[in-house]
Amino acid sequence: MRNFLLALALALPLFAADSLKILPPAATLSGPEARHQFLAEASVSGHEEDWTRHAKWSSSSPAVAAVDQTGEVRPLTDGVAKITAEANGQTGSAEITVKAAAEPFQWNFRNHVIPVLTKAGCNQGACHGALAGKNGFKLTLRGYDPEVDYDTLTRQSVGRRVSLLQPSHSLMLLKPTMAVPHGGGKRFDPNSLEYRVISEWIAAGAPAPADSDSTVTGLEVYPASATLKPSAEQQLVVRARYSTGEVKDVTRWVKFSSSDEGVASVDDMGHVKMNGFGEAAITLYYSSRVLYSRLSVPNAAPVDPAVYTTFQRNNYVDDLVVAKWRKLGFAPSSPASDSTFLRRVYLDSMGVLPTAEEVETFLSSKDPAKRTKAIESLFSREEFVDYWAYKYSDLLLVSSKKLRSNAMWAFYNWIRDSVKQNKPWDQFAREIFTGSGDTLQNGALNYFVLHKDPIDLTENVTLAFMGQRLTCARCHNHPLEKWTQKQYYQMANMFSRVGLKNGSEPGDTVVFAKASGDINHPRLLKPLAPTPLDGTSMSLDSTEDRRLPFAAWLTSPKNDMFARAIVNRIWGNFFGRGIVDAVDDLRATNPASNEELLAALTKDFVAHGFDTQYLMRVIMNSSTYQLSSEANATNQNDNRYFSKYIVKRLPAEVLLDAMSQVTGVPTAFANYPKGFRAMQLPDVQVKSDFLAAFGRPPRVLCDAAERSVEPSIAQALHVINGDTLNKKLSAPEGFTALALKLGLSNARLLETLYLSAYSRYPSDAEKSAVLGALNAVTPSTNTTRQKQVEDMMWALLTSKEFMFNY
Amino acid sequence: MIRLDADKPAEFCDGLRRRDFLHAGSLAGLGFGLTDLFGLRALGAAPAEKKDKNCIFLFLVGGPSQLDTWDMKPNAPIEIRGPYNPIKTNVPGIEISENFPRMARHADKYTLIRGMNHTAAAVHDTGHQMMQTGRLFTGGVEFPHIGCVLSKLKGPKGDVPAHVLMPHPIGNTGGNMPHGQNAGFLGKTFDPFVLNADPSDPNFRVPDMLPPDYLSALRVDRRKNWREMVDRTVSKFETSQDARLMDSTFHQAYTLMSSQKARDAFDLSKEPQKVREKYGLNRFGQSCLLARRMIEAGVRFVTVNMFETVFDEITWDIHGSKPFSPISCYRDLVGPMYDMAYSALLEDLSSRGLLADTLIVSTGEFGRTPKVNPAGGRDHWPQCWTMMMAGGGVKGGEVYGSSDEIGAAPRDNPSNPAQVAATIYQALGIPLELELPGSQGRPIPLVERGTEPLKIFS
Repeated sequence: MRNFLLALALALPLFAADSLKILPPAATLSGPEARHQFLAEASVSGHEEDWTRHAKWSSSSPAVAAVDQTGEVRPLTDGVAKITAEANGQTGSAEITVKAAAEPFQWNFRNHVIPVLTKAGCNQGACHGALAGKNGFKLTLRGYDPEVDYDTLTRQSVGRRVSLLQPSHSLMLLKPTMAVPHGGGKRFDPNSLEYRVISEWIAAGAPAPADSDSTVTGLEVYPASATLKPSAEQQLVVRARYSTGEVKDVTRWVKFSSSDEGVASVDDMGHVKMNGFGEAAITLYYSSRVLYSRLSVPNAAPVDPAVYTTFQRNNYVDDLVVAKWRKLGFAPSSPASDSTFLRRVYLDSMGVLPTAEEVETFLSSKDPAKRTKAIESLFSREEFVDYWAYKYSDLLLVSSKKLRSNAMWAFYNWIRDSVKQNKPWDQFAREIFTGSGDTLQNGALNYFVLHKDPIDLTENVTLAFMGQRLTCARCHNHPLEKWTQKQYYQMANMFSRVGLKNGSEPGDTVVFAKASGDINHPRLLKPLAPTPLDGTSMSLDSTEDRRLPFAAWLTSPKNDMFARAIVNRIWGNFFGRGIVDAVDDLRATNPASNEELLAALTKDFVAHGFDTQYLMRVIMNSSTYQLSSEANATNQNDNRYFSKYIVKRLPAEVLLDAMSQVTGVPTAFANYPKGFRAMQLPDVQVKSDFLAAFGRPPRVLCDAAERSVEPSIAQALHVINGDTLNKKLSAPEGFTALALKLGLSNARLLETLYLSAYSRYPSDAEKSAVLGALNAVTPSTNTTRQKQVEDMMWALLTSKEFMFNY
Repeated sequence: MIRLDADKPAEFCDGLRRRDFLHAGSLAGLGFGLTDLFGLRALGAAPAEKKDKNCIFLFLVGGPSQLDTWDMKPNAPIEIRGPYNPIKTNVPGIEISENFPRMARHADKYTLIRGMNHTAAAVHDTGHQMMQTGRLFTGGVEFPHIGCVLSKLKGPKGDVPAHVLMPHPIGNTGGNMPHGQNAGFLGKTFDPFVLNADPSDPNFRVPDMLPPDYLSALRVDRRKNWREMVDRTVSKFETSQDARLMDSTFHQAYTLMSSQKARDAFDLSKEPQKVREKYGLNRFGQSCLLARRMIEAGVRFVTVNMFETVFDEITWDIHGSKPFSPISCYRDLVGPMYDMAYSALLEDLSSRGLLADTLIVSTGEFGRTPKVNPAGGRDHWPQCWTMMMAGGGVKGGEVYGSSDEIGAAPRDNPSNPAQVAATIYQALGIPLELELPGSQGRPIPLVERGTEPLKIFS
């Protein structure tokens, strides 16, 4: 008997639940056709389980609302009922209000017919949603324009698509059920709800969409996030909120997709299957609205909770990162050594290596606050200014490709001055968009010389300053994004009155606000009221410089996208990966790996007056940033949650400058003064085989992916055989020659090189190996000694420890 | 031209002559065995072929118009049929555009696939992805180029890379999406070797392929050994994929440098001027010639991008307005360029007995609108286009599939990118039921189950 009970207990799903909840906790079903799926979601020792499919479902008032054994509720008469699910000895319940159950009901074109066509795929890009339609029948992509679709269905093709006299003879029903041949195959069955919606809508006289129709204002999803067991399955429920205040279950009509199929996959009905470890976002698309649910499966190996409680927390970054590690089962790597820390902050914040002297001073200091002090000292360095001026020049596409040299310098100098003054980021943006006049006087205005076309401006401004990709919406509502074509052209019209005329000398341009000029919406063939994306419209008749309200909206603390975008870029600079990846893709459908962290940093950044240096200080002082890059057993595969520092190859310009620094031989750039570092160049048109091979961005597209840091054979060939490094090693004014002149011993040579290249002393193992190699041959002449030193330096400067920041 | 400095021996302080480097045994024999390097062994045992099949993939970037090239509609109204006339080929019943007179003499060697179509958005990038990987990228998954799959499954032959891409990767074509030209989820180790140089340049050479005059072989070797010694003392890079990739790039660089055969393969100056002229003295022509040399040297897959972008360059992308190309370029520039290079390649491979084992695929990313637009050009049209396959067991002298009377949609045997990928894999002797390792080891089928290869083999 005991054994039997034990066996029974084991057969029950895992452990007893801490609690069983019904999701969503309450619902109102309005009208006879309303349906609502509920979930039985259990919390079991720190994770969630979906018990919906094996729970026993019941209704307290079966006359008011009925529930079937899949958890779907159907209204019967007006009133209130309690729906209960019972499983494994636990119960949970939800309250249902039924309204208008007996009232006449009519399917609505906008809110029912279009969702059917969208879910069945009729209006997708591959079918009738194509720009050119299919077989003479064209719908708007995913139904973004119901009025046009209504016209196409009811007016064109003389009543064949919709037959009011004989609804079942409508092509709209015959084609998708394959009653007549259909190139797109069978989309639904005559017995389906899809069929019933369309046929009953036609039978009711095919009523047109009306301005009074309710519209979708937002989505909600259950569960919004969950931690699941390996291979678990989870049903999602999606509800739409309407302008009327109603909230309805629309799960059946939602389009689902997964951000990472390796972690989770989802079927058409919102049923998710976990395939691996980690976190995936399940993206939901309904009626031009998007949302996601975050589902995760923690690492299998348990982590001692003491790891989290004893972790040194320097600021809120650490708190929020630890919360994520705890959830996903990562233990952080150990703290980075002082050497690694110093090399890292120098490279990440100003793109130079610490000198041997700086390293020795730092390592020998006993000051417990020496890391914070070292960070503080960075901000006043000229190299810091150069580095960030270069980064922002990447962002704003500074280059002599389209600008004359004088204009390029004016633009660059304005950027560099801004960095030097630590100009708040909102002011930086405002100065670009509110200025008028001479581009040589006010360098920021060259942004308009680089982007003469309002379409270019619209797309690049939104990408550079908000991480939003608008390009798809130029031709249609973005299929997996919230921006509509209408919003696109409203936004573009903000830039339709930017005037440019020749200034007093070549390269000089005068930027001014024109009194007239509009951009037409390509389908409506008329201009729309200028509106900055989700901001307030201005009148078409207004004579105000349209850029001014745009700048005000863009830089307003209420415009979350603006601050988030730069916060994510700056985080990405230090960690090699944004909290949102790619660093410039902040679409609603591309979630952050740690939303709480990004939200907190953004809020803090805005609260501190858009101060980028403040933000960098928070980041660099966190324990998270100061972790080692060496993985432990739990975080080998973590490349998203910052439980270790991600090893990254030095950017092209930084690597070149580092080689110059250690060899003591600057790189010569044509037409620039001797000693100019690559990071000081205002231009990417300066010829350099090295920079080209190592992935310098061409600054043609506003796209973070323009810069490449991936190793390639061409790079290896260039450092082995190319002139850049080889000539630095053999230069008579360089370190090699100096070392010879000073007659440095092998031991002293090695120590100096390790300090200047790796910011550390050589280990005993290294001393024995590397010194051993050097001592093995005693050079007979100065020339052979010189070559020996060159070759050892070459080995050090092409090693991974030199080429990477770790 | 590669600096084959064996011609001008120079003395070095260490007593070695520079030419010795070329014969120094110390670096030779590294092999290109990256698969072995990381213990990444090929999945599943592809059946041992008697003779390896190779592939040259000519990507006609921009998307040729079916109606002005290889699927003429002479009886359609003028706004459909466009400005060009059909001509007869050496196969009775097959006609192509007058812009391709040389191709017309080789119609017995290729098969025209006239029912090509895809259903993704009509932008260049989607077609690039689908034609080279068989799939549209969704769900965060980047699929591998067919040549990268081959590289993973079979590894390199000798000292040359398994997959070479030339002259440059496809750049910006407007969609901001990946172009399907790398190894995707297989990992960067299997990315193609990218030439990044223009073979028609008089000074063409693989950049930095040989040490400079002032570096002796002994020193190159000493540096290599010392670098490895320095690296061995630190372990912190073991879990970084990029760091391992850097090791492999150095390994590959040394292999290329030390192989006479590899250097010769890249040396176009070894070709008679007459042969070079036959291919056309332009970037695409010389790339096709170099592709032939690659195949002869043991490269398994060569991807040739006819153009790098569609902006401000004359390409197949004939919208008729700036910054795109005019329809007349098919007669004046792009057509003749393709006609010469493609015909020379067919002729050359055939006369060298290589055609039977080398599949030549040429396709754009989509077709063009049947109706000529107000600018006199044609816009994007993925619903229907024509591509070509030749060699590698393809029957040739055939038309597979057809389009309707205005070239707007396939009529018989519609063919899609997934089927083309399956057809290429079949020609290369790779079993279609194979699975590739995706992220976290999730198996990803080579091609979606049930994808039918085209029936174009003899």
